[in-house]
Amino acid sequence: MAREGESRSFRRKFCKLCFDKVDRIDYKDDRRLTRFITDRGKIVPRRISGTCARHQSQITEAVKRARILALLPFTSEQYR
Amino acid sequence: MKTYETTIIFDPGLEEARINEEVDRVSQGISQAAGEVIEVQRWGKRKLAYNIRKRRDGTYIHIKHKSPPELIGEMDRRFRLNESVLRHLTVLAVKESPRPAEEPVRAGEPAVAEAAHVASHEEKV
Repeated sequence: MAREGESRSFRRKFCKLCFDKVDRIDYKDDRRLTRFITDRGKIVPRRISGTCARHQSQITEAVKRARILALLPFTSEQYR
Repeated sequence: MKTYETTIIFDPGLEEARINEEVDRVSQGISQAAGEVIEVQRWGKRKLAYNIRKRRDGTYIHIKHKSPPELIGEMDRRFRLNESVLRHLTVLAVKESPRPAEEPVRAGEPAVAEAAHVASHEEKV
């Protein structure tokens, strides 16, 4: 039953950054980056977010830089 | 000479005059090393995503500059010695618009294909 429901709601993943025609994702753009981290502060893997390889590597670098500048958390407060 | 982006987080307790002083000192260091300050952005006081040295906020300054690579190490040393700097980060600035250089090539492709097509057609004739 549950499996049927899953297959029915299946939607092809696509890279949201390619869709928005983002050329370069910036570490200063923390509001955009929050969409690619979990509530624990982890970087969302490609298999979940559907991001393309090029944008994923840009996200990874940007998130890591943003963490150094305390724009994004290394880990969320409540799990510390 | 390379283009860099340096972001500095100052102690939120510092007055604006002190911050201006610090920014001037950095700019002076850049120009003394024959570099050039392109832009200084003041993001103002922001909440930090996590506490740094028990501070919840920080005053952010973002400087875009052209500097000799040797200066970056020296700058890093100075920031680390400076008690009022909570955090700093220097990265290479992204080169402006690498896209326009790519696109003419891509735009040129169909034309080349077309030319080839015409050529092969001519051969047949």
